[in-house]
Amino acid sequence: MFLRPLMLAAALACSTAGLAHAQAADNTLRFAYNQTLESPNPYFTTLRLGVIVGRNAWDTLIARDNDSGEFSPLLATEWIWADDTTLDLTLREGVTFHDGSDFDADDVVATLTYAADPANGIVSQQIASWIASVEKTGPLSVRIKAKAPTPAAMEYLSTQLAIFPAGYFTGPQGATSAPLPVGTGPYKFDSYAPGGELLLSRFEGYFADSPKTGAKIDKVSIRIVPDIQTQLADLMSGGVDLIMGLPRDQADQLSQMPGVQVVSGETMRIVFLQMNTTDTGQEALKDKRVRQAINHAIDRKSISENLVGQGSTVINAICFQDQFGCTQDVTSYDYDPEKAKALLAEAGVSGLTVSLAAYRERHISEAIINYLAEAGITAQLQFMQPAAMRDAMRAHQVDMMQNAWGAYSMFDASATAPVYFGAQPDDNNLDPELKTIFDQAGATMDAEQRKALYAQGFEKIAAEAYAVPMFTLPVQYAGAEGLSFQTYPDEILRFWEMSWQ
Amino acid sequence: MTAITTNPPSRAGRAFRRLAHHPSLLIGSGIVLLMVLIAIFAPLIAPHDPYVQDISRRAVPPVWYEKGTWENILGTDQLGRDYLSRLIYGTRVSLLIGFSVVAISGLIGTTLGLLAGYFGGKVDTFVTFIVTVRLAMPVILVALAVVALFGGSMWVVITVLGLLKWDRFAVVVRSTTQQIRALDYIASARTAGASTAWILLREVLPNIAPQLIVIATIEVASAILMEAALSFLGLGVQPPLPSWGLMISEAKSYMFFSFWLIAIPGTALATLVFAINLAGDGLRDMITPERS
Amino acid sequence: MLIYILKRLGLALIVALTVSVIAFALLRASGDIATALAGEGATPESIAVIRQTYGLDRPVVVQYFAWLWDVARGDFGQSFFFRTDVAGLIFGKIGNTLILGGASLAIALALSIPLGVLAAIYSGSMIDRAVTMFSLLGQALPSFFLGLALIMIFAIRLRWFPASGTDGWRNFVLPAVTLGYYITPPFMRLVRAGMIDALNTDYVRTARAKGLPARRVVFKHALRNALVPVVGLVAVQLGLLMGGSVVVESIFALDGLGYLAYQSISYRDFPVLQAVVLLLSLAYVVLTLLSDIINAWLDPRLRAA
Repeated sequence: MFLRPLMLAAALACSTAGLAHAQAADNTLRFAYNQTLESPNPYFTTLRLGVIVGRNAWDTLIARDNDSGEFSPLLATEWIWADDTTLDLTLREGVTFHDGSDFDADDVVATLTYAADPANGIVSQQIASWIASVEKTGPLSVRIKAKAPTPAAMEYLSTQLAIFPAGYFTGPQGATSAPLPVGTGPYKFDSYAPGGELLLSRFEGYFADSPKTGAKIDKVSIRIVPDIQTQLADLMSGGVDLIMGLPRDQADQLSQMPGVQVVSGETMRIVFLQMNTTDTGQEALKDKRVRQAINHAIDRKSISENLVGQGSTVINAICFQDQFGCTQDVTSYDYDPEKAKALLAEAGVSGLTVSLAAYRERHISEAIINYLAEAGITAQLQFMQPAAMRDAMRAHQVDMMQNAWGAYSMFDASATAPVYFGAQPDDNNLDPELKTIFDQAGATMDAEQRKALYAQGFEKIAAEAYAVPMFTLPVQYAGAEGLSFQTYPDEILRFWEMSWQ
Repeated sequence: MTAITTNPPSRAGRAFRRLAHHPSLLIGSGIVLLMVLIAIFAPLIAPHDPYVQDISRRAVPPVWYEKGTWENILGTDQLGRDYLSRLIYGTRVSLLIGFSVVAISGLIGTTLGLLAGYFGGKVDTFVTFIVTVRLAMPVILVALAVVALFGGSMWVVITVLGLLKWDRFAVVVRSTTQQIRALDYIASARTAGASTAWILLREVLPNIAPQLIVIATIEVASAILMEAALSFLGLGVQPPLPSWGLMISEAKSYMFFSFWLIAIPGTALATLVFAINLAGDGLRDMITPERS
Repeated sequence: MLIYILKRLGLALIVALTVSVIAFALLRASGDIATALAGEGATPESIAVIRQTYGLDRPVVVQYFAWLWDVARGDFGQSFFFRTDVAGLIFGKIGNTLILGGASLAIALALSIPLGVLAAIYSGSMIDRAVTMFSLLGQALPSFFLGLALIMIFAIRLRWFPASGTDGWRNFVLPAVTLGYYITPPFMRLVRAGMIDALNTDYVRTARAKGLPARRVVFKHALRNALVPVVGLVAVQLGLLMGGSVVVESIFALDGLGYLAYQSISYRDFPVLQAVVLLLSLAYVVLTLLSDIINAWLDPRLRAA
């Protein structure tokens, strides 16, 4: 029985070498993802898969150029800020939705008005809550009024605010009478079974002037395969062509295999532990020394180097280096178990038991638990699905939360700091001072002034030790031989760029 | 007056002679006994602390591989913890859960079965009814749901399984009690004025003990497997406690490259359950010799 | 016979109702339904509106009967997670689980009947021991471990079957073998015990004494009697089968009811879980009822019970 791995390694070597993926022949891409999509509608999921589907099946008004980072036309051809809170956009002519209807100003008005109304309950309110009103100024022109100056508005418009046809939504929570979701993107929905397969096919009527034009793959099948080992088995046996989010060790080992290409991509996703200091939280966690002790107890560097691997950088502030307004030059806590114990003793805390919620990278959670145990803190793991964790987090039901936040791939600190520390639903500290700072930063148009405000906020979070900043999380992709695919730091798979060789 | 009228020495002697005729019982109970000893003396036997991690030495293979060392005889797990030590401590978790669950479920099931079998009539109808309701409920799903509601921990798992797995005890004890109740010596005890409780505990219970032991072995094995399944699904024993099911679950993503990480706890689990069932099978043969 | 059926039907109904109360209580125990239905960031007003629309402000007993009435009409409410009809969700997946269950049962019976008969005929011999060992091993091997091992061998090494998915019959082979092997031992024991009993009955002895060929005696007379309790066990094993399917479907990412139930537990999607639990319980009740009636029809003595 114990000899089997050796035999297997040899068998794998033979079997994957001559592997001709059947999918290459029918020009289909089979992609497996490990978490179930609660909704195929990008407004009603925070899951990365939702963002991926959103970007492939829908278009935003504005795009962001991958190389230059500049904003470029997509559904809107021109735009101009009339003043700090007024944005005028000219829309593209000749764009059609997957259902054949023409795209015009009414669709933009309907979609953005729907998203901006909190009663409709889109999952990430901040992406649309800045919109005061949207009006039609012509058949192909709209005017968006912001409630206050919103420096991140262009970020939201170029990432998350996907345009649906007018009349698509029939009620709150994404209610619709359409049998399948409808967008304008390079891929359209062929079928969708909740929790099952999602099938996309190339949209032949996609507008040629789009930067997302030129899709080659005919069909994209997306399946939920929860276990990594089943995903690996599928990839190695030809049932799946592309997987993402492999743990480091598996990626390392898989990269030794012929017939499979493993690509490691740095991302802007950051891992950090939130600590609940609200009324419902543990009394001990309200003591700054205890939170500092927890910071000292965890060897972030070792986890980053050993468990996460190449492409992971330790962070000190809860933001990604390249985001506007992010600074990593804040108070930081070294790995020092003795100091952690001393701080706990000083705070008069012994035998502390905390709950730790997590939804991905379970092996990292376990390493954290073991580090905390060495300092005398028992952490009880509550491993759950992302949506369940989001609910528990927003209800302030757990003591510590292990987050892996991709900030919706937005290069602006406003997509991170206020979400977790600016009194938005995920905030578990509710520090009024932080709310003031981040509110102000979110409404200041002057770049330097904004930077200074964010720096002040990040320093305060670090000094108060409200969280344990950990590291950035690279994503490991594995694709079948012959599949040409490019990865990006925003973790969005661009199916329209992929092809079989 | 009691049913067991044989004198102890000859009985023990006969039991021993019988045991020799049942190698499966001998082997099975031998392995179980060994595992119990390992569980009790785990701190003395385990070469390392099962909780101490060294994440720079992950998934080191066992000693018989080229890269293995005597430092970690069975290698290390995905967080660099000594695998042999975790396996040894895992024996505790499995056995503790197996025996505790059966203690609870055995108590519930035997009580219900005794009452139903002895009193018959309305009591019997009622017990039969709740047994039917219990059988109609999908155990794993209900257990998973309760664990999800209350959070996973060893004691939650024990309580939930204990409260769910009494059906077999109830069914068997009920029918056996019905048979015994009709026997003469029970009737004479009753006419002699013995209290119901006395009859049930001193007359009926000892006579259904053999059947009870057989059921108990089956149930211990099944509880151990169920805990492993719950832990495998992430809704059982929580880390860092070493449960064999959890060890398989945590190592499963390594199975293609480090198969021993799931093979070792898998083999341990299968061996323990096999040994318990073997012992149970032997016991059954000993009790009902005509079947073998 | 009619009275017996009516009596059994009455009992089945009461059991079904009790189970429905438990399933109903399960959802209520999970928290405030209106808040869960309203979703993220819902205002107290919108929660109040939902409470009213769904009738959640009525007394619990009234709610139970309203719910029961809905269930009777096939309306299992709304999924918290997918925000769609629970009935539709289940309808889309139940087929896969039925195929898996049927195939596993077929595999289990195909294994257990010949092996059980063999063990009974050669009772006490090496064959009997080997069969017993095989059945003990089957009980000892955790289904999740067997499933992973089968993926290793048949999906990766030999590439005979896919590791996961629900595309065609080939996807069902490995899960069905895993699940079938898991439920084989109890059937095998029952067949063996039944056969030994049947072979010892007077009429089989008589038939043998009359010089009828052994094969005919075994298959025509003994096996038929030995299989009667197997019918009953099929119903009882359904629970085990479904429990096993939760584990097996999640390993093989098979888009069925067991996996849906497991998912709904991790998402705390209690309306879905409630519906699955209720459906499985009802299936058990109906199947045991049917097997009781079949058995009573086969064996008139049972009707008196």
